[in-house]
Amino acid sequence: MAKVIKMLETKSTEFDLNNLLKDLPTQIEKIREIRKLVLTDAVLLGEIPAPTFKEEDRIRLAVDRFRENGLEDPEIDDHGNASAILNGTEGKSSILVMAHADSVFDASTQHVLNVGPDAITGPGIADNAIGLATVVALPKLLELLDIQFKDDLIFLANTKSLGRGNLDGARYFLETMKRPIRAGICVEGASQGRLSYSGLGTLRGEIRLEVPSNYDWNRFGSSGAVSQLTRVVNQLLEIPLPKEPKTKMTLGGLSCGTTYNKTPRRGTLRFEITSEEDSVITELKQKVDDLCEQCSLENGTKVYLEVVATRPNCGIAFTHPLVKATRSIMSDLGVTPEVNPSTGDLNVLIEAGHPGVTLGLTTAENIGEENECIHLNSLPSGIAQLITLLQAIDQGLCES
Amino acid sequence: MTGDNQKWLKQNTFHHGEFWDILNLVKEKEKKGLTISLCIPTLNEEKTIGKEVLILKSELMERYPLIDEFAVIDSGSTDKTLEVARSYGADTYLASDILPEVGDKRGKGENLWKAIHQLKGDIICYVDADISNIHPRFVYGLVAPLIKKEEVQYVKAFYDRPLNYSSGLRSSGGGRVTEILIRPLFSLFYPELTNIIQPLSGEYAARREVLEVIPFPIGYGVETSHLLDLYEKFGIDAFAQTDLDRRVHRNQTTNALGKMSFGILQTFINRLHSQGMIDRIPDMETFYRRFEVEDGSYNQLVQEVVEEERPAMIEIEEYRNRTV
Repeated sequence: MAKVIKMLETKSTEFDLNNLLKDLPTQIEKIREIRKLVLTDAVLLGEIPAPTFKEEDRIRLAVDRFRENGLEDPEIDDHGNASAILNGTEGKSSILVMAHADSVFDASTQHVLNVGPDAITGPGIADNAIGLATVVALPKLLELLDIQFKDDLIFLANTKSLGRGNLDGARYFLETMKRPIRAGICVEGASQGRLSYSGLGTLRGEIRLEVPSNYDWNRFGSSGAVSQLTRVVNQLLEIPLPKEPKTKMTLGGLSCGTTYNKTPRRGTLRFEITSEEDSVITELKQKVDDLCEQCSLENGTKVYLEVVATRPNCGIAFTHPLVKATRSIMSDLGVTPEVNPSTGDLNVLIEAGHPGVTLGLTTAENIGEENECIHLNSLPSGIAQLITLLQAIDQGLCES
Repeated sequence: MTGDNQKWLKQNTFHHGEFWDILNLVKEKEKKGLTISLCIPTLNEEKTIGKEVLILKSELMERYPLIDEFAVIDSGSTDKTLEVARSYGADTYLASDILPEVGDKRGKGENLWKAIHQLKGDIICYVDADISNIHPRFVYGLVAPLIKKEEVQYVKAFYDRPLNYSSGLRSSGGGRVTEILIRPLFSLFYPELTNIIQPLSGEYAARREVLEVIPFPIGYGVETSHLLDLYEKFGIDAFAQTDLDRRVHRNQTTNALGKMSFGILQTFINRLHSQGMIDRIPDMETFYRRFEVEDGSYNQLVQEVVEEERPAMIEIEEYRNRTV
């Protein structure tokens, strides 16, 4: 009997989801007609520099927009996160829609976006001006599309997400927010089809090397920071990485020296270790620490590891109804899901005990470069995907 | 600096931040029964026109109905300017199709002049199409003084103008023709007009009744002639100016600036003739007037520059009598 009831419930869930999916083509067309709302916000927000820890100006505009889009009492919390609530018809629980407001580009980058008929190009448009703009414009879009929710929708423009920010903005928001959250969606500009439902264990660190002022340049093997950092790189590359659980080490940046003819005394190597198993990350960190100590003692220099960000492994199952609903929506849109674990805000969402996914809105190119580019044709379906998933959550179709 | 100049600067110089409440502007505009048209004159501006139309139409027509009419008037672009503008919902016109009975001349001034015929607004706001960092302030900052102050007829923009180099922004510069040509000329012949901080800026808004009574040079002289003609007709109190902060635009070569200066000088000398100023050259001013900005306030610096002359050496008796 219980089995029959379970089957009936499953059938009913599929029926309700199919009802939502039927509306997708119409919704996409309507969004195409009003997409300027999002594009305008993307340009206005994206042209305000917002390097991590300096997001205030962009956040101020996000708050203005929340207010202009009909949300009462948007707030900025102690970590600079902007949030606002769209009250649902019942308001028994809440759904969180979030996008990080910070960007990898510093304030000295010329934040000018070019708007063409089919694309917008410029630093940070994909990561994450268009994602942020979509979250900020969503209340207005829902009003224009005449879509109402039973749950409250919480919109969050979170700060301090990238690099040394270490997801601190979202973490603080989730720690201090007292409302019951049914599920959360992290919105990224790129790329459409992105589906993350797990957070990947991560350690980001900087190996700093300093040659002391009293360094003995006559000792055996004495050398400047460039040579010594090169040696560190070689030794890092010799550390064996397991194939299972999947583990990766990325050497992301090296800075050392300023000229042609002067031996530098300082240098920094930035790297990231990601692994499906937290204990592997712990072991690898120990190896990096050992390597730094060995290098310090053998060369008479100061070499040390500074950990700038960590995330534990976390996630929900591939078979979780939230993930299944997301895959169904993507399938209906003709989009093949690209399943990748996240190292972003999703980690703190799931760590805080809330089911969640990260979605990408549109196709993009040159991410992280100053000529970053988003394609506008696929944006309406990306936004429709987000709205439909919110509706599915609201209707209880994503409960485990 | 004279007290009148200081008073004018204080009363007629604004910052766009004073007009941030666009909704309030809309209400005031409607209460006064005013309509506003926005014109963007174009010639091969496919790189920047999309953003201008997107931002200005979306923010100032759809979100806040400050602008009643929005037109791109083109001089015959050979790139995709019109296609891009239309893709973001702009009404586009070829200048040659407007008032065809008067013929077609090529130049920005032609588009601005024909806009008066084509557009219906009581106020017409002109914004150049090459602004990389377009923002609604470029329009509301200019039309707001016209909405709020009935005595103001013509509002001019001024900026902190960085030049757009491939290597990034330069914090000062721009306005070279203003500093080298216009400001010295105004200092000589029209000292009051030196209160206009950037007389050549391509963004301004004006009431229809003043635009329809002045001629329009079709080329580089249009901004200069507006100032000279309206000053002659209405005096300095008809003007206001708004600080629109930063404007990112293309840098022009020295050759292009030379050509521009030549056009402006023609317009200027024409006005000297028509306003009888040529005969007053002996009375011309010896004070050079320029601006500095300090803590957000604009100060006019006045320096006396008297170009004294020595006679030809041969006229000096001692020279003629010297023993070599």
